[in-house]
Amino acid sequence: MSANVSLSRDLRVGARTEPIVAWRTWALSGRRDGTELLLRPVAGRSHPWKPLVPAEATCKHARMHGAPNVDCSCGLHGTRDVDILRRTRCPAVLGRAALWGRVIEHELGYRAQFGYPQLLTVVCQFCFWQWGPHGTAPAVVGWLGRDDLVPFCWPHLELAQRYGMEPRRLFPAEEIDLRLRETYVVDALAF
Amino acid sequence: MNIGRPKRIIEVEPVTLPLPDPSIPMPEPGRAPAEPVPAPVEPPVR
Repeated sequence: MSANVSLSRDLRVGARTEPIVAWRTWALSGRRDGTELLLRPVAGRSHPWKPLVPAEATCKHARMHGAPNVDCSCGLHGTRDVDILRRTRCPAVLGRAALWGRVIEHELGYRAQFGYPQLLTVVCQFCFWQWGPHGTAPAVVGWLGRDDLVPFCWPHLELAQRYGMEPRRLFPAEEIDLRLRETYVVDALAF
Repeated sequence: MNIGRPKRIIEVEPVTLPLPDPSIPMPEPGRAPAEPVPAPVEPPVR
């Protein structure tokens, strides 16, 4: 088979009325005072997920196709299982996101045209990498400059500081978690 | 992140924000909503 043959030729096509709900992680940014919280993709330089606005997928190959495209990796990603997200880089927020529009279902997840978070919680990324979603409740959220916010549990804050990762400001994690949910008008993700 | 090979394409109907809370059951068709309906206001007697 030629490399130029599109995968879409062999795919089934379906339709549904309810959004698909999938697991997802985000990076978190905000101002020095812990306001103007914004969910950002953990990888790449794609657009942030703004509050009260559906996120819409874009592709660097936009001249050639709309996103998501079957033969590309573009689209808003979500996974069927939460554990696969333990491999993501710098997850600060874990949640369930509604996905709709054109959605490409994969073996382990989805790539969608539109998305919006439904349930959110901040996580200590170091705990999340090691143990998954359980027992990852952070104690504080550090502001690291350049508007990066990173949640930490106490032991991992201490470890990060030992290796020179010194937050310039610290906020109680509960405060940022609540503000994040109020900003996006979503409920807490509970386990 | 590797999410495996594509299986199918799904066209999902547009969603209006804010999204409904999935933990709250939707009222059945023809049944009154859970919240009380305010009583109609009577016009002032002159």
